[in-house]
Amino acid sequence: MILAEHLVKEFSRPARVDGPLGGLRSFLSTCRVATRAVDDISLRIDDGEIVGYLGPNGAGKSTTIKMLTGILVPTSGHVEVEGIVPWKDRRTNARNIGAVFGQRSQLWTDLPLRDSFELISRLYGLGRADYRRSLEEFVDLLEMGSFLDTPVRSLSLGQRMRGDIVAAMLYEPPVLYLDEPTVGLDVVAKVRIREFIAERNRERGTTVLLTTHDIADIEQLARRVVIIDEGRILYDGTIEALRRGYAPYRELVVRTPHEVPLDVAVDGIDVRASRRDGDEVLSTLRFDPVQLAPPTAISRVTDALPVLDITSREPDVEDIIRRIYLAGSVDA
Amino acid sequence: MTGGAQSAANVRPRVHRAPTRTARLPAPLLLRGLAASCRQAWRAQFVFRAAIWSGIVGACLQVVLVFLVWRAVYGTRTEVADVDHANAITYAILGVLASIVFQPFVFDTLYGRLRTGAIAFDVMRPISAVPSALAQQVGASLAQLPAVLCALVIGLAIGAIEPPGTVASALAFAASLALGFTIVLILNFTVGLVGFWTLEVGGAFLIYRMLAQFSSGALIPLWFMPGGLRTALELLPFSAQVFTPLSIYLDRSPGVHTLQAIGGQLIWIVVLAALAALVWRRAVRRLVIFGG
Repeated sequence: MILAEHLVKEFSRPARVDGPLGGLRSFLSTCRVATRAVDDISLRIDDGEIVGYLGPNGAGKSTTIKMLTGILVPTSGHVEVEGIVPWKDRRTNARNIGAVFGQRSQLWTDLPLRDSFELISRLYGLGRADYRRSLEEFVDLLEMGSFLDTPVRSLSLGQRMRGDIVAAMLYEPPVLYLDEPTVGLDVVAKVRIREFIAERNRERGTTVLLTTHDIADIEQLARRVVIIDEGRILYDGTIEALRRGYAPYRELVVRTPHEVPLDVAVDGIDVRASRRDGDEVLSTLRFDPVQLAPPTAISRVTDALPVLDITSREPDVEDIIRRIYLAGSVDA
Repeated sequence: MTGGAQSAANVRPRVHRAPTRTARLPAPLLLRGLAASCRQAWRAQFVFRAAIWSGIVGACLQVVLVFLVWRAVYGTRTEVADVDHANAITYAILGVLASIVFQPFVFDTLYGRLRTGAIAFDVMRPISAVPSALAQQVGASLAQLPAVLCALVIGLAIGAIEPPGTVASALAFAASLALGFTIVLILNFTVGLVGFWTLEVGGAFLIYRMLAQFSSGALIPLWFMPGGLRTALELLPFSAQVFTPLSIYLDRSPGVHTLQAIGGQLIWIVVLAALAALVWRRAVRRLVIFGG
């Protein structure tokens, strides 16, 4: 279990002095300004949960994760991971957590990938048999056999990322922090990594805290999301509740022959957009699923219009999240 | 629109969850971890085949050149500054060999990890970053041994290396050399920590490396230095790295002064270890406060 209570992290840096001799005065000044990267965050993640941790750049996501790994000491508040306070007992905590920071690698650049795994297995006190079994399993799942003996510096980004993920999981930590694990990867590589994470969560009950800017990562892995900005939690709940609460509508995309008038009206359904597409017309209709059951809505549309094709669409999570970021709070 | 992965991923697992660890690594596993760190650094030195050969050729060449230069310096004289011909050459060659082992080109493994940000991972391992960094330095130094052994064979073949002064000198030399190496490790580690503050230390390291080599007496024995400089250098920890063990090696009448010299090395180790601990604590503080 991951537990954070009223977690605060302030960074202080020397204040800059403007005006004549500003540079010299800045250098001599003892004035410091504090910025709060994490401002009173409380969070509880149960065993076996996958939680998406979202927020715009600089929102405080990485700072939170660094406090959970024990790298950073919180300014105030309480933090506990698997019953251990990370910054107080970094070495025990280390045995329970795995971390992938998409932007940096823990692998040894000049040596073959296998050597990094070998060293990591030793640093975590893994028995030889356990190590071989884990490695074989991971290499199989992530299809890494072909580049296991290649020096890390020659790996593609997708290969390196798989290497970093295995490095973080070789010793089977019950908790896994993934900070942008799919950044810069192509679609195939992303899917492979998502499937692997889902598999580990399913088979081993690994608790996962995942930050990403790719909403598809979240949609496919997490049921719960925590959205933060400026160090505060804006939303903590399921994706479904987010959809229901912030975009209480469904959309129908309807294709009709072109002789149908564009401003067609159906009871309980709004036309959001409509455009000609060759000989046909493509319209986006919107309705409230609480007022109007989706099957009813669909049958009303097909009764009123000579429909060629109809698809139902849920509101776009990315769009909802963008609106939350912009509003800066959930109730806006 | 959400795939099968979602529904499957969120089923609360009932199966064997990976166990939570409630204690640090036990000591035997810790030692094995350190041995692996050492091996890793050893291997990293042998990654490039060309580097292995150039290391061996370079070491052998250095021995031959140093031999030729010192022989020419002495010419027909048997003694310079009270040091006889054979001793000076022996000293110079052993000094070269010692500095190859003591100051490998990658003497600081932390620095590279700092630049790539991998240091963040190193401070969240079950084994503290300091012992594993030291183990890696030892590995990098041990990796120089093949080249040094080749050069040693060459040195013996051309008759450039005299046997130690006495059996006691040989034993004291071995102990003193080990202590000298310990001083090198601690000092290089501490200097490497400067990177926590400045981030760009490549140039400073080169200068440090050169100064350390010079001040340790590995290039020119301190006997030949002018009085003031010699006194100053003897007061620095560098002289305890190479000059002290080599002086003991050549000494034909070891005695109390030998033990005093070794005692001096021990004092340096205590002082420098305390300094290293202090600097490390501040470096980690910086890392954990500012996030690396």
